[in-house]
Amino acid sequence: MFFHTSKAIQGMAFFLTSLLAMQAWAAPDAIAGKAKAQVCSACHGENGISSIVGTPHLAAQPPLSIFYQLLQFRDQRRKGGGMEAIAATLSEQDMRDIAAHYSAQTPPSPHTGGDAIKISQGQQIAQQQYCSSCHGAQLQGQKHVPRLSGQSTEYFVTQLRNLRSGARADMDGTMASAARSLTDDEIEAMAAYARSLP
Amino acid sequence: MKRKPFTLTLQNAMLAVGLVFSSASFAQAPATPPAAAIPPTWAQGRTPEQVALNLVPHPPGMTALPANEIPTDKLKVPAGFKVELWASGMPNARSMVQTPKGTLFVGTRFPGNVYAVVEKDGKREVKTIAKGLHRPNGVAFKDGSLYVAELSRIIRYDNIEANLDNPPAPVVVFDALPKDEAHGWKFMKLSPDGNYLYFQIGTPANITVQPVTHAVIVRLNLKTNILERVAEGVRNSVGMDFHPVTKELWFTNNGRDWVNDDLPNDTLHRLTRKGMNFGYPFCHQGDLLDLDFGKGRSCDEFDKPVLKIGPHVAALGMRFYTGKQFPAEYTNNIVIAEHGSWNRTKKTGFDVVRVALDAKGNVTKKEVFVSGWVQGEEFWGRPADVHVMKDGTMLVSDDVAGAIFRISYSK
Repeated sequence: MFFHTSKAIQGMAFFLTSLLAMQAWAAPDAIAGKAKAQVCSACHGENGISSIVGTPHLAAQPPLSIFYQLLQFRDQRRKGGGMEAIAATLSEQDMRDIAAHYSAQTPPSPHTGGDAIKISQGQQIAQQQYCSSCHGAQLQGQKHVPRLSGQSTEYFVTQLRNLRSGARADMDGTMASAARSLTDDEIEAMAAYARSLP
Repeated sequence: MKRKPFTLTLQNAMLAVGLVFSSASFAQAPATPPAAAIPPTWAQGRTPEQVALNLVPHPPGMTALPANEIPTDKLKVPAGFKVELWASGMPNARSMVQTPKGTLFVGTRFPGNVYAVVEKDGKREVKTIAKGLHRPNGVAFKDGSLYVAELSRIIRYDNIEANLDNPPAPVVVFDALPKDEAHGWKFMKLSPDGNYLYFQIGTPANITVQPVTHAVIVRLNLKTNILERVAEGVRNSVGMDFHPVTKELWFTNNGRDWVNDDLPNDTLHRLTRKGMNFGYPFCHQGDLLDLDFGKGRSCDEFDKPVLKIGPHVAALGMRFYTGKQFPAEYTNNIVIAEHGSWNRTKKTGFDVVRVALDAKGNVTKKEVFVSGWVQGEEFWGRPADVHVMKDGTMLVSDDVAGAIFRISYSK
């Protein structure tokens, strides 16, 4: 009981911290972000829920995680999905506004009725890999670390494979070392687990 | 579950720490349990109770605040001093070195850029002279060449000042350094005689029995290309300078995480002879045995720091104040940029401090010199390095605001 209460407090603390941190930056504008996100919505969906297989859901992502990924696409340190060209057209203010828009959207609904054994295995691997240390207890993301809960399984699998192979460079090497030892089956189980989370 | 006694390999030490965290029971155990994974390096040494504190490293500075959004007026200095914004628009600006002609080179950790700040016809201009490098945090300058310390190699840009708009391809000077990301970025300093580049190879985790190649300060002989160790048992030094009179190396060191809010301290060290060992991972701050790795050891085995700077303050860049502009009591003070804490429930650091020494090199005073980066529990910038200009003013780099401030004094 205490455990759950303290979790809720922590969650709220994180939420408030992110709000305050956001204010220190150039006051991102979610309304303006919605208009600027027109170009994004063709693939990522108007509300950040993509209907294209393998394209990530952006809804409820921590704003800093969207902003930092856009910066890396712009600087060609991350590549894929034609995002480098799109990010190159955006100002940093555009990026922050778009991030504010998507972060305010309702998260993707958790997938129900998945393979229970696979999900349970994925949960166990996620715990052994310390995913929640950075991604949060419910893999909801925090600060610049992306939300994984409810994420497209195809996208999840592709990204972890790319981090494992080095095709995708991460910010500080943490994900490369985490992904190094994972098998394809383990990655798929973790993707199923993440997809099942609210 | 008790921690296993440590053995002398990195992998086993990490597994021993990893086992502590894999003790939760699961509804469904797989047929063959996967090997215990290694936690992210910053989480090594964290106890299960500390997980609930929700302390995680701050997001790295990836961008630069527009000049008109940098709240320079929040920075406080002692009476008679003045702070102004000197340069901006440099994402993640960290280590600084200035050439005799006045060009300031600035290294970064995350964007892979190196910047040059030049003044021409009274105007200051920022040029990005290198992109796509791997953690080019360390910068040094000798005989017209800019040396850059990347994560695992040292490179050199010859005749760089004549080619700032079209820099030459770098020459690789030394490329056999470890590739560990954790504490792998380097602070680099040219020796007073110009013969050596000094830099650190940090420990590859928070707390572990490191390979002999790590947790050391080394120097590279620029004539022979031979690398040698000058200090060991140094967890991670991200700031060093040579005493203007004795020419001894002094350096800052970042203490381990996950002991508690008030221990251990980051420390200031003085290298009086080659080969000193400052105790990591067995003993911290000269007098605190490590709970796990200190068993059976004594702090008396090791050399001591000259000062406990403060817990978790993240003491980074440091310089002796050799200028003439500041009041006489600042002469040969050590000025240290404290990047600020993450592994602490209340923030500390996020300021620049000065340390006064007597003629023998004993610390006589430590006080805050520049503050104001943190307001309550929120910060808008983080000081990363300091630099003394020829005119006696001092620069402070900020790797979150992506800017450099100048501190000056007038009576």
